[in-house]
Parts: sequence; structure tokens; C-alpha cells
Amino acid sequence: MHLQLITLTGIAIDQEIYEISAPTAAGPISVFPGHEPLVSVAIPGALAVRYKKGDPDDAREFFAISGGVIEVNQTAVRVLVDEADHGDDIIEAESQAALDRALKLKTEAKNQVDIDHAKELIDRHTVRLQVAGLRRHKRS
Amino acid sequence: MAGTQLLKSRIRSVKSTRQITKAMQLVAASKMRRAQEATKASAPYTEAARELLAGLATRTSVKSHPLFAQRPVKSRLMIVIASDKGLAGAYNSNITKIYVAELKADDKAGIKNKTITVGRKASQLAARLKDTEVIGAYEELPDQPDGNELRAILDSAKSRFMAGEVDAVDVIYTDFISSITQEAKVMRVLPAGFDDTLQPTPSNDVTYEPGTTEVLDGVTYRLVGAQLFQALLDARASEHSMRMIAMKNASDNASDLIDDLTLEMNKARQSAITQELAEISGGVEALSE
Repeated sequence: MHLQLITLTGIAIDQEIYEISAPTAAGPISVFPGHEPLVSVAIPGALAVRYKKGDPDDAREFFAISGGVIEVNQTAVRVLVDEADHGDDIIEAESQAALDRALKLKTEAKNQVDIDHAKELIDRHTVRLQVAGLRRHKRS
Repeated sequence: MAGTQLLKSRIRSVKSTRQITKAMQLVAASKMRRAQEATKASAPYTEAARELLAGLATRTSVKSHPLFAQRPVKSRLMIVIASDKGLAGAYNSNITKIYVAELKADDKAGIKNKTITVGRKASQLAARLKDTEVIGAYEELPDQPDGNELRAILDSAKSRFMAGEVDAVDVIYTDFISSITQEAKVMRVLPAGFDDTLQPTPSNDVTYEPGTTEVLDGVTYRLVGAQLFQALLDARASEHSMRMIAMKNASDNASDLIDDLTLEMNKARQSAITQELAEISGGVEALSE
């Protein structure tokens, strides 16, 4: 099954895969080849990709995604999200620090722009931390 | 001799100016190349969102979605995209011209106006104007804007549109046509436009989860977001390329000026020498008599 992971900054993945797990508004889903056609709303969270059949859970790759849309048909999956950060690129300590900063920013925010901005940052870094946690689990 | 000293110091100062403009030109050129690449990167995203929308249109009435709602425009929101720094040729003044013209038109038509500014030059300008209410100012956006900045702007525009606080949202930005042509223009992002011409692949057995309404919500949001993001990227690329051209012209002017001044200085020095020689030979002549 072919996966296209499309973000605002370009196509992050464009290759054959075996399984994809993603968080959606109707609950987490896993898609295997031959899945019935489906369009679903993705919510911010961890996207996991298993490239080959029989790959152990450790070999999966994780992405921190923002909200978007997932389109599935028999032979292909198309994931349309604003951002997808590869798990390997996320540094846990950095994300934690950024989350703390964002929380502080929210309490100190004076206007709507700052509050919106802080909320964005909090959502983003919470997801990133979640993905970093999954990766740590994968290593240990 | 005072003349040559003065000219020398002027040449020195023009030379150091040229050094700066040359450096700025090189920096802008390399940033422009990257920004230019980035303007193409979001194309697949827009394309995919369009296709999804076309598919949805076969199942539900796309145009009944609140983001497509066409209302008589009584108040509108303008998102003005300019740069943080100056020295970019006509980049900021082109935007200013259009923005002021739009404000005047709104004023005449009795349309209330709100503004979100991107870039320090835009916020400085909007703060001075009385005809508009600034509801948000974004400064110091990174060179490669990502979804984070976009969502903050998009969400405040969207929530105001959905709440009926504004009836239209326009973006004033500079369209990057090529590295030599850029055009400042106004683009309507809300109410969202829908292109009926795209033929969807007929597929009646597609399941929409949680429902068509939620998916339509998500897709429309992405489509509007992609448009706004494209405007941000285009504005970025235009800024760098206009700055590069402006700095190239400045460097060329400085070179011309240096040539002129050098010529003048050489002339002044030569005439001083001739003068001195004449005085010496005059003195010798006087002595030998």
C-alpha cells in the first residue's frame, strides 16, 4: 500500500508501506492493505508507520502530526497534515522546556494573539513529547 | 590639497557603504533561493485538499458550510503582509499603497475594517492609521514559516468570520511571479471559493468518519490555510528578491560614484602638482636673472 504524507512544507513520505496507525476524531485507527475506502479527520498525535510486513513494533517510525485529513482507498493512503515531525528529530528535553515556556506564556499572556499563540505551542509540544516518549519506549 | 583630502574621505565612506550593500545583496540572494524553493513545496498540499473537497462535493452540499457563506460585506478583515526590515526597494511601499487604497474604498462604502498585520513595517503603518482596528500583529516570523505561525493567524481570522464579526477576509501580499517580477495584490480567502470544474473520481462507497460535516470542516480549513500559507511564502520570496535587486542597484550606484570621485580626485591632485611645478620653475627663473 502506498503512503503519501503531505505537509505544508512538502511531501514527507512517498513510498510503499505495510501499516499506518493514526489518531482520528473517531478514535485511533490502523490501516492495512485492502482497507475499505475511508476519509477521516486526523487529530494532533503520534502517527506510526510500519514499512514491511513482519517488522517488529520497534522498527516502526513515529511522526508528531498536527490536525489534518486521512484518505484511504484499497491501494493507497494519503495523509494531509499541516506539520509532521519525525520522531528522531525531536529532542525530549527541548520539547519539555518549550512546553514549560508555552505554559508560562499562556499565564502571562496579555492579549488574544499571545493566548492563541501559547495554545498552539502547548498543543504542539504536548504531541511532540508524546512521540518522544514512544521513541524512548522503542529503544529501551 | 584640502580638496583631495575631502575627496579621499568621501571615497572611503562610499566604499564602506558599498561593502555593506554588497553583503546584503549576497545574503538576500541566498535567502531568496531557499524561499523560492519553499513557494513550490506547498503545492501538493493544496492539490490534495482540492481533490478531497471535490470528492466531498458529490456527497454533501459543500457550499452550505459556514466558511463558504457569502454574506453582504459590512465589515471585513485584512491580513497585511509586509517585512520586518526595510531596504527592500518598493516592497513595503507597494503594500502600503494597496492597503491605503483599500481602506479608503471601505471608508467610502461604509464598510468597517479590521486588520491583522504580519511584519513590523505593516504594524507600524497600521498603528498610525485611524480607519482601521488592529486586532493582531505578528512580527519576527521565521524565514521558513511553518504551520504554527499560520494556524495562529488562520484561527483568529476563521473564528471571527464564523462568528459573523467580519463578512470577508482578504490578504494583501506580494505575489512571487518570478525572481524579477513580483506583484502586490489583494486575495480573498474567506468566504472560501470552490472550484466546481475539478472532476472527482466517482466513489460512492467511501466512508466519512466521524461524518461528512467534520471532514468538510477539516478539508475547508486546510484549503483556506494552504492559501494563506502560500501568500506568506510568496511574500517572503518576494521580499528577498526585491531586497536583492535593491541592494544590487545600490552597490552599482556606489561603484559609479566611486569612479566619479576617483576621477575628480586625480584631476585635483594633478592640477595641484602642475601648480607647484609652475611655482618652482617660476622661482628658478627669477633667481637666474
